[in-house]
Amino acid sequence: MQLKNVIDSPCELRFMLDKLDLQSGFARRWLLDSSMMTSAAEIEASHDVTRRFVQFVNNVDRTHQTTLLFRLQGVKDIRTTIKNLRQMATLDDIELFEVKHLSILAAEVKKMLQEHGLIDAVHIPCLEDVIKILDPDGTQIASFYIYDSYCTELKDLRKRMRQQPEQQEELLVKAAEIEETVRHDLTKKLHAYVDDIEQALVALAAVDINLARARQIIDEELCLPTITNDGTSCYTAMFNPQVKDALARRGKAFQPVDICYADSPTLITGANMGGKTVVLKTLTLCQYLFQFGFGVPASAATIAIKDEIYFFIGDEQSIERGLSSFAAEMKNIDAVIKASRENRKILALIDEPARTTNPTEGTALVQALLKVLGNKQMSLVMTTHYDIEPGTAHCLRVKGFDNGSMNYSLVEVDDGEVPHEALTIAQSLGIDSEWISLAREELEKSSKEKILYK
Amino acid sequence: MVMVNFHHHPAEDGCAIVTFIDEILKCDSLSIVGLQKNTGKTECLKYVLARLPLEQKKVAVTSIGIDGETTDQVTRTQKPEIVLREGMYFGTSEAHYRQRRLVSELIDVSDESTSLGRVVTALALTQGKILLSGPSSTQGLRRWMRDTRRHDIDLVIIDGALSRLSLASPAVSQSMILATGAAYSINMTQLVQRTAFVVDLINIGLTRESNIALLSPLESGMWWIDSDGLLHEMQAVTSLSQQVEFNGMEQCATIYVAGALVDSFLERLRKNKHLRNVELVVRDFTKFFVSPQQLRLFEKMGGTIKVLQRSKLIAVTVNPTSPAGYVLDSEVLCDKLSQAINLPVYDLLKN
Repeated sequence: MQLKNVIDSPCELRFMLDKLDLQSGFARRWLLDSSMMTSAAEIEASHDVTRRFVQFVNNVDRTHQTTLLFRLQGVKDIRTTIKNLRQMATLDDIELFEVKHLSILAAEVKKMLQEHGLIDAVHIPCLEDVIKILDPDGTQIASFYIYDSYCTELKDLRKRMRQQPEQQEELLVKAAEIEETVRHDLTKKLHAYVDDIEQALVALAAVDINLARARQIIDEELCLPTITNDGTSCYTAMFNPQVKDALARRGKAFQPVDICYADSPTLITGANMGGKTVVLKTLTLCQYLFQFGFGVPASAATIAIKDEIYFFIGDEQSIERGLSSFAAEMKNIDAVIKASRENRKILALIDEPARTTNPTEGTALVQALLKVLGNKQMSLVMTTHYDIEPGTAHCLRVKGFDNGSMNYSLVEVDDGEVPHEALTIAQSLGIDSEWISLAREELEKSSKEKILYK
Repeated sequence: MVMVNFHHHPAEDGCAIVTFIDEILKCDSLSIVGLQKNTGKTECLKYVLARLPLEQKKVAVTSIGIDGETTDQVTRTQKPEIVLREGMYFGTSEAHYRQRRLVSELIDVSDESTSLGRVVTALALTQGKILLSGPSSTQGLRRWMRDTRRHDIDLVIIDGALSRLSLASPAVSQSMILATGAAYSINMTQLVQRTAFVVDLINIGLTRESNIALLSPLESGMWWIDSDGLLHEMQAVTSLSQQVEFNGMEQCATIYVAGALVDSFLERLRKNKHLRNVELVVRDFTKFFVSPQQLRLFEKMGGTIKVLQRSKLIAVTVNPTSPAGYVLDSEVLCDKLSQAINLPVYDLLKN
């Protein structure tokens, strides 16, 4: 699973990546091509590097940081050139320039990392020999041409060009032949270093990515989570960065949420507008961020690694596939059930399943889903408005209306009975009073009927 | 040998060339723009490049537009390579860099891509010929100009296309030379009138500073500013729509057209009593696709026209020969044009 495959997930991963201040287009492409990490050792190692860069950003003088960022801006995607070099296709001046430019840049960045104790955080190969080949005059300037010092005959020809401009065309042809031989020789020499050159390019992207991650962690107040092995994940003061931003623009604050789930079903109930969907979105976002090596939006988090992540937000009509919203949802959940039989670590987050059908069958479907997935070793976090039998899931409820305002925090409840606050909330939104009061009458009527039946 | 006819101040004939080059040296960027193919734009560029004192200034040359062939596809006339002098910097595409006929040192490979590859920047180590094909968008050109400053370039010269096919505007440069001639019109009166109109457009004044800051980032659409200085997007109005009407138009002080300005829009503005007195802002002179009549009528009815960016017009050059071989009287043409535009006019090819 590559980052580019999930960037447009409805959990808004793109929002976080758009805010990531990467210096080069190559680093961005490299990052998008990176795979989701599923081993603890890999994630641990990645976090260790990022932590070192967090220290760097926190402790090192701004001007040094700016210099490093400026250098990283110069990184170009020269993979085509590297491929040509690997195949020993004679490089032209532009390609040789690219190799030289990269090598000098890598040496400069390596030196900066050395000065700030980051040299073992990202390994940049030493390209001094490459620089020597492409900078025969030792100018240390990242420009390039087939230098006079490569060949005395070339030097003489060029001297004659300046002295006898009328013969230039003829001399240029001769010089071109010699230049091509020089290029061929240079390519042969450089070929021995092709792995190092490629490694340097990747390392520069890694520095860029880690630096951007570190700055994002500091600026957005994210945390690097601890890995758990018991299948449970816990977040303290988790927040949704996008909603937080939107609220901040209106002068409001986001109320962070504490939440834990294990590898058994967790059900979130609560009033409308209680932020249930935002919780699911944020949990999904956090899981991806964690397994792609980013900080997560919480003050602290311990997270279990998953092999597969499923996130379904209701209303996924698939017009192209010709499916109704109900059919699309059933197909999606069906995929989760199938995957759950394959002994993989799964996290499934499902927003109000079966919401688009009648409540009787809907409740039955949800109830049965909890039973089907409940005996699998997987994490399931689900929201619903349906009343669920006690004991089938770990139940959390949004506190809801509290002293006239919405309290978004989650509380543990014993049963799956959902709160009935829809009318109160509709009223607070200023919805037509005739409609709402008639609805109240209907409610009272039906509860009286229920009593009569009993 | 190239001679110069100087017609603006006939008495100062002798120092004409000096004045011309001196004016250029006062600027950090110059674009040379032809009103039509074969109006002598390239001749003008060659002329300027041959005379710049390179020991005083670091000069970089590039071009905008999409030209790629050595032969002009329309008129079958030779599209000349530019002769660069040793010590000049130049920006061209990868494809044309590979075809260079001079020794040069590559100093930068940019991210600007053109149909002929990325734009590269190099320093000429010997004199020689090069085909120029630089950035193909205004933003790209601006970025290239900014990047060249890193190499301490004092003066950037742009071979500027004025083609509707080109997305890059020569108006990003501080100054400009306009090339016109018989290729634009073989009727002298018409040639003078049409050229004078373009000169009028180039000379349109800048809008006020606050408007420039507010409007420059807007790359498309139609916008208006109310009397309190607040910016609004004009909803569902394109310059081609039947009517110009929007909520709040009574408060409208300024209208900004980010794209092309056309006659019908001016006409509709004029017919709306709330809008006929506004200040109409257009990005630069290349965005005007209007007739002199409509422009004059709009101004007569109380409207004002301003631009976001403009270049100082240093001079106009003429090529009295049309591609078909028709030749106008150079001296008469220079005189008439110079009087009409109140600027120096040169025939750079006249022997």
